[in-house]
Amino acid sequence: MSILLTEEQELIGQSARDFAKEYLEPIAVDMDHTGQYPAAAVRALAEHDFLGLFLQGEYGGAEAGYVSLVEAVENLSRTSAAVASIVVNHSLAAYAIQRWGDPGQKQDCLPALAAGRTLGGFAVFEHGPTPGVGPDALQATRTPEGWALKGTKAYVRNAGVAGLYVVLACTDPAAGAKSLAAFIVGAEASGLAVGPLAETMGLKGCPVADLVFDNVILAETALLGGITDGAAIAAETLALASVAEAAQTVGIGQAAVEHAAAYARTRVQFGRPIATLQAIQTLLAETATDCHLARLGLRAAAQLLDQGEPFQVEAAMVKQFLARTGAKLLIDTVQVEGGFGYSEFMPLPRLFRDIAGTTLLEAPADYPEKTIAARLLA
Amino acid sequence: MSILTAEQKQIQAEATAFVAKEIIPFAAEFDRTGEFHPYLLDAARESRIFAMAVPKAYGGLEYDALTQAVVLEAWGYGCAGMGTTLAASVLSMDSVLVAGTEAQKRMFFEPMVRGEIGSFGLTEPSAGSDAGNGKSTAVRVGDEYVLNGSKCWITNGSYSTVFVIYALTDPAAGMKGISAFIVEKGTPGFTIGTVDHKLGIRSSNTVELLFKDVHIPAGNLLGKEGEGMKIAMKTLDMARPAIASLSLGLAQRALDECVKHLQRQYPEKAQPGQTLQFKLADMKIEIEAARQLLHHTMNLRDAGLPYSAESAMTKTNAADTAMKVTTQAVQLMGSYGYTSGIAKLMRDAKIMQIYEGTNQIQRLVISRAVLAPARPAVAVQKGGN
Repeated sequence: MSILLTEEQELIGQSARDFAKEYLEPIAVDMDHTGQYPAAAVRALAEHDFLGLFLQGEYGGAEAGYVSLVEAVENLSRTSAAVASIVVNHSLAAYAIQRWGDPGQKQDCLPALAAGRTLGGFAVFEHGPTPGVGPDALQATRTPEGWALKGTKAYVRNAGVAGLYVVLACTDPAAGAKSLAAFIVGAEASGLAVGPLAETMGLKGCPVADLVFDNVILAETALLGGITDGAAIAAETLALASVAEAAQTVGIGQAAVEHAAAYARTRVQFGRPIATLQAIQTLLAETATDCHLARLGLRAAAQLLDQGEPFQVEAAMVKQFLARTGAKLLIDTVQVEGGFGYSEFMPLPRLFRDIAGTTLLEAPADYPEKTIAARLLA
Repeated sequence: MSILTAEQKQIQAEATAFVAKEIIPFAAEFDRTGEFHPYLLDAARESRIFAMAVPKAYGGLEYDALTQAVVLEAWGYGCAGMGTTLAASVLSMDSVLVAGTEAQKRMFFEPMVRGEIGSFGLTEPSAGSDAGNGKSTAVRVGDEYVLNGSKCWITNGSYSTVFVIYALTDPAAGMKGISAFIVEKGTPGFTIGTVDHKLGIRSSNTVELLFKDVHIPAGNLLGKEGEGMKIAMKTLDMARPAIASLSLGLAQRALDECVKHLQRQYPEKAQPGQTLQFKLADMKIEIEAARQLLHHTMNLRDAGLPYSAESAMTKTNAADTAMKVTTQAVQLMGSYGYTSGIAKLMRDAKIMQIYEGTNQIQRLVISRAVLAPARPAVAVQKGGN
């Protein structure tokens, strides 16, 4: 388990595990049933410094880096991938501001994000295949004072509970996705409304909704990075999302493999535990292998981030690998548990529904292949 | 596409229309509530579809196996939960078709023709893949059997009026001591236990059956004492292609929804790139291949040829295809897939790999056939001619 990890990173993983046991285990099943946002658990996450893990010390962050982040996310996900989703989406907004913000923006936003006084949300997708395409694409128009935003961001996680959003909008309707710019938008901004919560298959408790911008007026200082930086901000932040979501997938998968192995040891058919059947051993061995390889891949990508190296191709590779193997971790572990495993009275169905939400290929769904091939063919 | 007769095409069109009108509009709601709605029975009763496997001699529709597969695919397309309701009822009849006497067939099929449904009860907590390891017993007392024990994961249990139940008449004989019985709803001592809450096919009713000193007439014994396992295996041979049919319907639905979504997303002249196009092509290839294996298996059955191994292969292949295609569809549709009815298809597909014998049990059956010592392809003729 400790391969590639420093003592600090391992400790952070362990403390996430302990945290999950104390704060998440008691609520995970209920949260899945009710879809209730776990406000108390998020406060506890803040108190335990999980919301500022990789942020710089001067802003109150733990400055522990991205391997630590994915260690924490994997270990939280073993118990509640929904809560991990809240952490991940928050981290994306914090990442974008730390990476592209000017000193004023950082000072304004990061201390509150690091301490968890403010939760972050990152909004890039729209209902069309790429941002900037489609009738309700978010458009940013220059005004004398700054910017006016009109349109809709879709499937925004932490919608309604975040205090600030990093939002991608087009500045030139004719140029579409090529004219993306990023903005920091406070949740209290006038004209900003949160749509009805989407009914998700899993990861329940992490709210997902549209953000509807009806002429939201922003000051000039709301622009994050340069006016032409939006596409790069979106791509790099989504690459971090791929790595962090991979950690969620692996956490869920690892929990499932361990549960299925324990089940196989106790379930007796044909006069012996099914764990003695090679057919069952093969299912466990294959899922454990995929978990392990994915973990190595995502840690390597996180290490590149820690070193300030480009990591987008490696992130896309992890994404692509898990697009093929991620959901299968649960398809095959549920199979080990057969009819019992299909019953919602057992734990794996929740994990099955959750894992599907961590391996999604967001529009455009061919992004991993495109990213990897672009590097190879450059 | 397979070559269907004009009559089969007609029946397919009717089933598709039925599904479009009575199932698709309600499937999401019943999935949410997890409740089977009796209205479906009223609608199905009118269409007489629950009697599609019942011989004409008993007032049924007597569809051939291929036609049944086509109907079940349409139901799987609409909602695999409701499709399971229909398929399970057909499955309960199969045991009676295999081993029933005239009187037993009348007793079982007449309710089906009236629009009632049946259940097949083999599985117990200790007898899943190890189907012969059940503990329920039936003891002969005079001209009755007294049934004790329980069954689990019985589809339609709360709604069925007739059941085929497997129990040990000779516990010492193990698998060879299992017998099959027709049991009617309302027989004293026969009650419904816990209702399961499942990952998918949530609108289909899955319950525990409890038997406490349930007296059933000796005339309800199907076949002879000790023939239960043989009857169950033949029943499952007949039933597995039904799962393949539902699986196919699911997979086809996932592909159609995926294509619809992409076409909605992309402006008229733009097309998704080759990476996506080829994923769609792969989905189509797997669905069509699975459909051909299913239809071939049904042709074998309709021709009276052996089809046991094909039955296992078609179930395994179609269930795996449904799982793969629905998962791919949810992934390709991203958050839209995850927050819409498409996710239901993926949850529903998972059961296809589990029920009517897990795909591991099917592979056991298939690998045994593969590894069986080769036999001469043509029997050596005796004598001169």
